[in-house]
Amino acid sequence: MMTMRKKRFFTIGIFIILMISSIVILDVSLISGSEEAELNFEKESFSPSIPTESGVFRRSEFAMDYENMPENEKLARKLKDYYSNRAYPGAPPTISHPLLSEKGIGAQSCLQCHENGGYVDQFKAYAPVTPHPEMLNCRQCHVAVKTDELFVSTNWTKMSHPDVEDNTALEGSPPVIPHTLQMRENCLACHAGPAAPKEIKVTHALRINCRQCHVPVKDFTTLKIEWDSTDQFFRKPK
Amino acid sequence: MPVKSYLVFPHIGKKKALSDILVDMSWCEILPAENEELIVLVTDTENEKEEEKCLNSLNAIPELDHYTLVSGFEENSKKVN
Amino acid sequence: MNRREFIRKMAAASAITAAATMFPGIVFAEEQTRDLPEGDILWKKSPCRFCGVGCGLKIGLQNGKAVAVKGDPESPVNKGLCCVKGYHSVMALYAKDRLKKPLVRKNGKLVETSMKEALDLVASKMQETIDKHGKNAVSMYGSGQWTIPDGYVASKFMKGAIGTNNLEANARLCMASAVTGFLSSFGMDEPMGCYEDIDHADVFVLWGNNMAEMHPVLFSRMLDQRLQRKNVKIIDLATRTTRTSTAADRSILFKPQTDLAIANAICYEIINNGWVDTGFVKNHCTIKKGKTNIGYGLEDKFAFKDEAQGIDFEEFKEFLKDYKPEDVQELTGVSAKDIKYLAYLYGSPNKKVTSFWCMGMNQHTRGTWINNLVYNIHLLVGKISTPGNSPFSLTGQPSACGTVREVGTLTHKLPHGVVMNEKDRKMAAEIWKVPVENIQPKPSLHTVEMFRALDRGDVRFMWIQVTNPMVTMPKLNRYREGALKEDRFIVVSDVYPTPTTDIADVILPSAMWIEREGMYGNSERRTQHFDQLVDPYGESMSDTWQIIEVARRMGFEKQFPWTYENHIEEIWKEYSLFHKGAKHGMAPLEVLKSEAGAQWPYVNGKSTKWRFHGKYDPACSKGDTYDFYGKPDGKAWIWARPYEPAPEEPDKEYPFLLNTGRVIEHWHTGSMTRRIPVLHQAVPNAYVELHPEDAKKMGVINGGKVKLTSRRGEIELPASINERGKPVRGHVFVPFFDEGLLINELTLDAFCPISKQPDYKKCAIKVEKA
Repeated sequence: MMTMRKKRFFTIGIFIILMISSIVILDVSLISGSEEAELNFEKESFSPSIPTESGVFRRSEFAMDYENMPENEKLARKLKDYYSNRAYPGAPPTISHPLLSEKGIGAQSCLQCHENGGYVDQFKAYAPVTPHPEMLNCRQCHVAVKTDELFVSTNWTKMSHPDVEDNTALEGSPPVIPHTLQMRENCLACHAGPAAPKEIKVTHALRINCRQCHVPVKDFTTLKIEWDSTDQFFRKPK
Repeated sequence: MPVKSYLVFPHIGKKKALSDILVDMSWCEILPAENEELIVLVTDTENEKEEEKCLNSLNAIPELDHYTLVSGFEENSKKVN
Repeated sequence: MNRREFIRKMAAASAITAAATMFPGIVFAEEQTRDLPEGDILWKKSPCRFCGVGCGLKIGLQNGKAVAVKGDPESPVNKGLCCVKGYHSVMALYAKDRLKKPLVRKNGKLVETSMKEALDLVASKMQETIDKHGKNAVSMYGSGQWTIPDGYVASKFMKGAIGTNNLEANARLCMASAVTGFLSSFGMDEPMGCYEDIDHADVFVLWGNNMAEMHPVLFSRMLDQRLQRKNVKIIDLATRTTRTSTAADRSILFKPQTDLAIANAICYEIINNGWVDTGFVKNHCTIKKGKTNIGYGLEDKFAFKDEAQGIDFEEFKEFLKDYKPEDVQELTGVSAKDIKYLAYLYGSPNKKVTSFWCMGMNQHTRGTWINNLVYNIHLLVGKISTPGNSPFSLTGQPSACGTVREVGTLTHKLPHGVVMNEKDRKMAAEIWKVPVENIQPKPSLHTVEMFRALDRGDVRFMWIQVTNPMVTMPKLNRYREGALKEDRFIVVSDVYPTPTTDIADVILPSAMWIEREGMYGNSERRTQHFDQLVDPYGESMSDTWQIIEVARRMGFEKQFPWTYENHIEEIWKEYSLFHKGAKHGMAPLEVLKSEAGAQWPYVNGKSTKWRFHGKYDPACSKGDTYDFYGKPDGKAWIWARPYEPAPEEPDKEYPFLLNTGRVIEHWHTGSMTRRIPVLHQAVPNAYVELHPEDAKKMGVINGGKVKLTSRRGEIELPASINERGKPVRGHVFVPFFDEGLLINELTLDAFCPISKQPDYKKCAIKVEKA
C-alpha cells in the first residue's frame, strides 16, 4: 500500500515517461519520414519481352460485347484499304479523315472515337480501334494528309502486305500470325468489331487467349524463302 | 512420323546438365529458357518404333523431373501447295 | 526451309506460348533477339537519321532495299517507339532526283563527270587556292549530321594535314551556346544526366522548346511517366502556344529574350525563401561574374573575349535584387505568382526537377548566359547529377554531340581539347602523325564569320558537306550573293539537289546514312553504330571516303592509309585514343556493334549514366559526393548574368517579332523529308502563324496571303490561324523547312558573342495583308 507521496511521485513519473516517449516517437517518425527515400540505383536493366502475352488480353473485358456488335457488310473495310494509308505494313497509318482542330497532341481528341470504336455518321464508317491507347501523343506518328501532290516523285517500292490465304499448316488449323507483333500485341483491336477488315475478322472473339492457338511464324507456303542465319530458332542438334 | 513439343522441367539446379544431355540425344532439339528452370523440347521421329525409343530415353534421364506434352503434329494428309 | 522445319518451328512456338502463360516474363534467349521475319525481310539495327533523341531503329531490308522500319525494342532510348519521321526515314533514300553522278559547273551549266575526275578537280582547286591565297583561304563547312568518322577525317585533314582552323559545322548554328554554357559552368561539355532522369523526375520544366514535336519520343516517355505517377508535372515555359503547351499541366508564356530575367527572378525567390542548399553551394560551387554590354556580333570581324571575376554570395544576392518577381512582371509578361510557382517547384526539397531546353535557349544572342542561368537554378538548390535532378540540354541533330562536339569540328577545337593549348596540339600531332607546327594555335573563323570571309574574299574555297547553308544562314541574301562572287570555288557533297547545290561549282553525290557504315552520338552521350545496310546509290560515295580520296591526292597518304574495308574500324580506334580515361573513355567498336550504343565515359565495361557525382561516376575523385572535375578546383561555377535586350526590338516601322522553327513532319530544310510522300503531304508548304486578333485587325483569314518585311528582305506566306500553334499578339512564327519560302532572307545574323551562335528567334518585321 503506497503512501500518498509515493503515489504522487509514481503518477508524475509515469506521465513524464509517457511525455518523453511520445516526444521521442514523434521525433523518430518525423525524421524518418523526411529522410529521402534511399534510391535503389541498381535499376533493373531494361529487358524487353516481345512477343509478350499481356497485350493479347487487353479488351478482353469486352469479349461478350464483341458477340453483340453489329455486322455491316457494306461498311466493312477491306484489307487493302487497311494497308492503303500505311507506307509499309507496320507503318503508322495517316489520318484518313479531316480534323476538327489542328491543336494538341491527340490524346482525348483522338481517343474519344479510336479507343473503343463506334459508328461515325459524318464519315459513314466505323472508327478503327487503336491497339495502343496508352500512347497519348498520337500526332507524333499519325499525320494528316493535306494534299495529293508530291514535292518530288519517288522510287519507293511498297512491299506487299501479308496474305490471308494459305496461312495454315493443315486443313482447318488455326492460321499463323503473318505480321510482326511489335505495337500490335492487342489482337482484338484489328481482328474484331465492326471496324475490322473483313478478311481478317474473327468468328470467335470471345475466346480471348488468341495466342494459345495462333502463333507468330511467317507464311510457310512460299517455300523458297530462306531463313537468315541470325534467325536461328534452335541450337542445331549435335 | 510425329513432331511433338514438350515443356521439360529439370530437377532443381540440373537445367544445364539436362540441356547438355538432350542436345546430344537423337531426334531432339531444345530451347532452354533464360530465367526459369524450363526447357522447350521438340522431337521429330520417323515412325512408331523411334517414337517409343525416344520416349524411353527421356524417361530414363535422372536429371529430368517431369515433362508435359504441348503439341503434336502428324503429317498424314499432305496439303496441296 | 521445308515443311518439316516449319512444323518443328510451329511446335516450338506453341510450347513457348504455353510456357509464357505459365511463367509470365519468361525469356528464351533467341526469342529476345530474334526478329519475327515478314516475307523475307531482314531486320538490322541503326540509330535514326533525324533528331538528337537518337532513337534505335530496326530497318527492314528486302532485296537490297530498305522497305520498313520498326522501333528497336532493345534500345533504352525509345524502347520500340518512333515518331513519324523515324517510321518513314528509309523512304528518304528513294526520291527520283537523287544525285547519282558528280556534276561540275562549266559555263554556268552542270555537266556530269566521273567520280575520279571530280575528286581530282576538288583536290587541284584546293591546292591552287592554297598556293595563291594561303592556307587560310580554304575552308570546310560540315554538319551535326556528319558521322563520327566523317568529322574525324575532316578534322585530321583540315587541322592536321593542311594546317588551317577554317573548319566549322552547322552545329554552330544549333548547339554552340549549349557548349559554351557547359564549358563556362562546368568546364566540360555535354549533359551530366541521361534520359533515365525522365523515369525519376517529379517535375519537368521545358524552357522554350516544343518537345511534343521536336523530341517527340522523349515527350512520350514523359507523358507515360505522368500516367504512371500521378504527381508528375510538366510545365511549358514558352513564347507561344504549341502542342506541348496543350499537353502540359501549365503553360506559361513569356516575352522573347526575357528568359534571362525569369531565371534570375527564380534564383532570387529561391534565395529569398531559404531554399538554397547552402552546404552544396559552399562545398561545390564558386560564383563568378563576366563582362556585360557584350554586343551582338553584327559587324564583320567582331571579336569578344569574356573575363571571369570571382564574387561572393552577398554580391550575388545584391545582383539578384534587380530581379524581384514583382519587378520583372512587366518586362517578362509572366506574373509574379507564376515565377514564384516555378521557384517553388525548383526549391521544394522533395521534388526532383529536370529542365529541358533546346533552340529557344541556344539560338539566342545571350545563349551562353541563359544556359548559365538555368544551371544556376539547379546549382543553388543542389539538384544536379543525381537521377531525376537534371538540367538537360537537348541536342537538335543526330550527331552534333558525337561529331561536332566530341570530335571537335569547330574552329577552336581538337578531338581532345583546344587548339590554343600546347599540350592538346602535341597530342593531336602525335596521334595524327603530323608535325606539331601544322596545327594552328589560334581559332580562325566561326560559321557566320566564315561566310562573311567568303563574301569579302578572305576565303576563296569552301567544301560543304551534309548541310544546306543556302537555306539556313541568317540574313541569307548577303551570304548567297557572297558565295556567288567571282573566284569563289564551292564544293558541295549532298544527296539531293538543294539551293546549296545550286551555287556549287562541284557537286559530289554522297552515300546516305545506311548506305555506309558509321556512328552517331546523341544528346545523352550515347554513341550508336550502324552497318552499311544497302548499296550506295549510283556512284555516290561516303563523305568520309570523299575526304580521304581528296587528302591522298594532296599528298597525305601517310595520314590516311586505310582500306575501304577497314577504315571505319581503324578510324574509331585512332579516335578513341584522344578520349582515353575515365572522364571521356569511348566504348570499343565491338560493344557499339552488339549493343544499342554505349554512353561515354565508358569505364570498365559500363556506361556512365550520371557524371560529376562519385556514386555514379568513376571519374570522380572525392568519394561519395560531387566532383565537378571539369573545373580545376572541382567546383561548378555560378554565373551572375544580367538581362540584356535583343538587338532588334520591335519599333514603329517594324512592330512585329519574327520567330522561326520547325514542325514535327519536317527535318531542317526539308531536302529529305519533303521527298517522303507521307511527310510532304502532311505539311506541304511553309506558313506564318498569326494571333487571331492580329489577323482580324489586318483582315487576314486562315490560308490568306500575308506579306512579311524586315530590314533585310520580304516574303509572302499563307496564314495559319488557330491551327498547330498560336503566337502571342505582336509575334509571328514561320517554319524554315520550305526552300521555296526562304524565311532566312528576313532574319538577322546577330549572335551570342561568347558562343557565336546566331539568334533565329527574334528579329523585327512588319506584317500586312498581301
